[in-house]
Amino acid sequence: MINRRHFLTTVAVGTASAAALAACGNGASTSAGETGSAENPVTINYTWWGNDDRAERTRKAIALFEGKNPDIKVNGNFTDFAGYWQKRATEAAGGGLPDVMQWDLSYLRDYGQRNQLLDLGTVDINTDAFDKSLLPSGQIKGKTYGIPTSTNAFAVYYDPAKLASLGIAEPDGTWTYKEFNEFLTEVGTKSNGEIFGSTDYTGVWWMFNIWLRQNNIEAFTEDGKLGFTKDDMKKWWNQTAALRGTPAIISEERVTQLAPKSPFGSNVTATEVTWDNFMAGYLADSGAKELKLAPVPSDDPDNLGLFLKPSMLMVASAKTKYKDAAARFIDFMVNDPEVGQIFKTSRGVPASKTQRDGTTFEGTDKLVVDYEKSIEQYLKDAPEPPIVGFGTLEASFKRVSSDLNYGKLTIDGAADAWFKEAEDLIKQNA
Amino acid sequence: MTTMATPTQSLPDAQLAHYNPKSESAGTKRVKSAIFHAVALALTAVVLYPGLWMIASSFKPNSEIGGSNTSLWSNNFSFDNFVTAMDGIGGVSTLQFFTNSLILAIGAVVGTILSASVSAYAFARIKFPGRSIFFGMMIATLLLPFHVVIIPQYIVFQQLGLVDTYVPLLIGKFLAADAFFVFLMVQFMRNLPAELDEAARIDGAGHVRIFTSIMLPLMKPALISTSIFSFIWSWNDFLGPLLYLNTPDKYPLPLALRLFVDQTQSSDYGAMIAMSVLALLPVLIFFLVFQRYIVEGVSTQGLKG
Repeated sequence: MINRRHFLTTVAVGTASAAALAACGNGASTSAGETGSAENPVTINYTWWGNDDRAERTRKAIALFEGKNPDIKVNGNFTDFAGYWQKRATEAAGGGLPDVMQWDLSYLRDYGQRNQLLDLGTVDINTDAFDKSLLPSGQIKGKTYGIPTSTNAFAVYYDPAKLASLGIAEPDGTWTYKEFNEFLTEVGTKSNGEIFGSTDYTGVWWMFNIWLRQNNIEAFTEDGKLGFTKDDMKKWWNQTAALRGTPAIISEERVTQLAPKSPFGSNVTATEVTWDNFMAGYLADSGAKELKLAPVPSDDPDNLGLFLKPSMLMVASAKTKYKDAAARFIDFMVNDPEVGQIFKTSRGVPASKTQRDGTTFEGTDKLVVDYEKSIEQYLKDAPEPPIVGFGTLEASFKRVSSDLNYGKLTIDGAADAWFKEAEDLIKQNA
Repeated sequence: MTTMATPTQSLPDAQLAHYNPKSESAGTKRVKSAIFHAVALALTAVVLYPGLWMIASSFKPNSEIGGSNTSLWSNNFSFDNFVTAMDGIGGVSTLQFFTNSLILAIGAVVGTILSASVSAYAFARIKFPGRSIFFGMMIATLLLPFHVVIIPQYIVFQQLGLVDTYVPLLIGKFLAADAFFVFLMVQFMRNLPAELDEAARIDGAGHVRIFTSIMLPLMKPALISTSIFSFIWSWNDFLGPLLYLNTPDKYPLPLALRLFVDQTQSSDYGAMIAMSVLALLPVLIFFLVFQRYIVEGVSTQGLKG
C-alpha cells in the first residue's frame, strides 16, 4: 500500500499534470488520501440504517475487518431509515458526510449528480465477481457512485398453509395475468371473504414497471423523461378493474386500518407482490411458519420483465480524506465471503459471486437465494438509477391508485392526475 | 337553571318564602353533575385510550400487535418485550440510552434556569440602551421555525468540530437561546413589585444581590414551570440528537426507540412499545411530583403584583 501511494505521489508531483491533480478533487497531496499504520491507524466513519439485528451483524463484520486491517479503524453509526435521510441531507449541506455509507438506489442519482459521492472508479475496488448487468445500476454518466452489496428481485409471496386450508393448489410458477386474477378470485371466494387474494397489485409501481418491461417499454428514457403513455397506464389499471371491490382484492379502507403492518403481514391476504428480501419481515409480522415465492405473472412466458436490483449499495463521500481506506472497507464488505456468512440474506442476496459462493444459506435464506437462481434465465439488465424525485413519483403512484380503489378517481382521472404530477416534477428537476 | 345562573336576582316574596337553594337545586345539581362526569369520563377514556393501548400492547407478542388484531388484551401475556427492550440495541445497553437522555434533560434544565433567569432579570429590571429593541429581537426568534436554522447551525458546529458531542444540544440552553422561557420569566418578574428591589437598593444591595436574594426566591413558580417544560421537551427531542449525534453510545431514548422499527427489515413493535412505556415513566414521575407547581406557576403568572 505504502509503495503504491508513494508511486502515485511521485507520478502526480513529478508530472505536475493539472489533469491528474484535478482528478484528486481538491488537488490535495495524494489520490489515495491519508493512510494509517498499525501503530497509528486512521479512523473512517461508516453509517447504515437498520434494526438491532443489522447493527449486531455489522459490528461483527467491522471487527473482522479491523482484525485483518490493523491500519484502519471503523467507527460505526446507525439510525432508522427515515431519520437516516434527514441526517444525510443536513450533513451533505454542511459538508460532513461520513466516509462510507450504506445507500439506497432511489437516492443515488440525487447525491451523485450533486457531486456528494466519490467516483469509486478512481479507487481500487474489485468488481470482477459482479454480474455485468448489475453494475450499471450504481453508475451515472459513466461514473461509479455505488457498489451493490446485494440484490433483490420482484416476486409473488404466498402463504402455503393458507392455500392448503382453502383447498387451493400452490401456484406452479407460470401464470398469465388472467390466471393470476382467477387465482386471487378463487382465494377470496373460497374463504368467503375472510382472506383476500391480495392488495391491488396494480398500485405497486415496480409491478407496473415490470409489466412495461414485459411489453418492451422502458419506464424512463435515457434523458430522464417518461417512456410510457397515458394509455399504457390506463391499460395497466384496467387489469384489475373487475376485481376491485370483490374479495379478490382487499379494500383500501382495510389496508389503512392495518397500517403500519401490511395486509399480508397481518394474515389478511394470501399473496403479495413485492421484493424477495422482505421475507424476514413478513415472517416476523405474520408469525407464519413458512412463506413461499413465485415469479410474477406475465402474458409472455419468455419475458417476465424481471431484473435484479441492488437492494443496497455502498458509497463513499466525495470529501473523504481516506479514499484508500474507504475503498478497502467497501471492497471487504461487498466481496469477503466471511461477511456474506455474517449477513446471509439480511441485506438481500449477496451481489458478488465470491461472497455468494462463500456463504451457506439455510431455511428462509435459502428460499430467497433459490428463487433468484430459479429466475436467472429470465433476468434482464437492471434499470438505470431512478430519476431525481423518483421517490415522490412512486409515492404519488401509490396515492393515485389508492384513490382509484376508494372510487374517488376513475381510471382516466387517475392517469391524468399522475401524469400531471410526473411531468411537473420532471420539468422542475430538468 | 335560572337560580343557578343568577343567584343574586331578587325574587318575589311569595317565592322567596319557600326558596331553599340547597333542596331545590339538589336534583338539578345531581343531574348536571352526572352529565358532567359522564362526559368528562368519556373524554378521559378517549384521551387515555392510546396510553392504555400502549401498555396493553407492551405485554403482547410482536405478531399480535396492530394489523388485524383488534383485541386489547392477549392470552399470550408475557414480559418478553421488556426483556428485549432492556437488552439494548447493537451492543449499547438501554441503561446507556436512559443515562444519555437524563444527562441531556438535566443539562437542559440547569442551563435554561441559569441563563433564562439572568437574561429575564436584565430585561425586566435593568434599563439599558436598546433594551426594547433587544427584547423585540429575542421575541422575534420565537417566530423563526427551527427548520430554517438547521443547516446554517449544523455548518457552524461542524466547522467547530462539535458534531457528535452534546455541546450543540446544550449550548443554546446555557446561552438563553430559548426565548420562550426568557419571555415567560420577564413577564413573571414584571409583575413582582418594584418596591422590593428599591428597598433592597436602599439597603445597599447591587444587582447580583437583588437577583439572588430577592428575585430568585420569588420566582420559584416560574422556575419550576420552566424546569418541567424544558425537561419534557429535551426528553422528547428527536431531531436535534438525530442531526448532531453520530455514535450510538451517545444516543438518547427517542433515537433508540426508532431503531426497533425498520420497514426494510423486520420490525419489533413489541420491544419498541415496551421501551416507550419505560421511556414514559421518568417524564410521568417528573410530572406527578411537580404538577402542583405547574398549576401554581401558571396561576401566579396571571396575578398582578
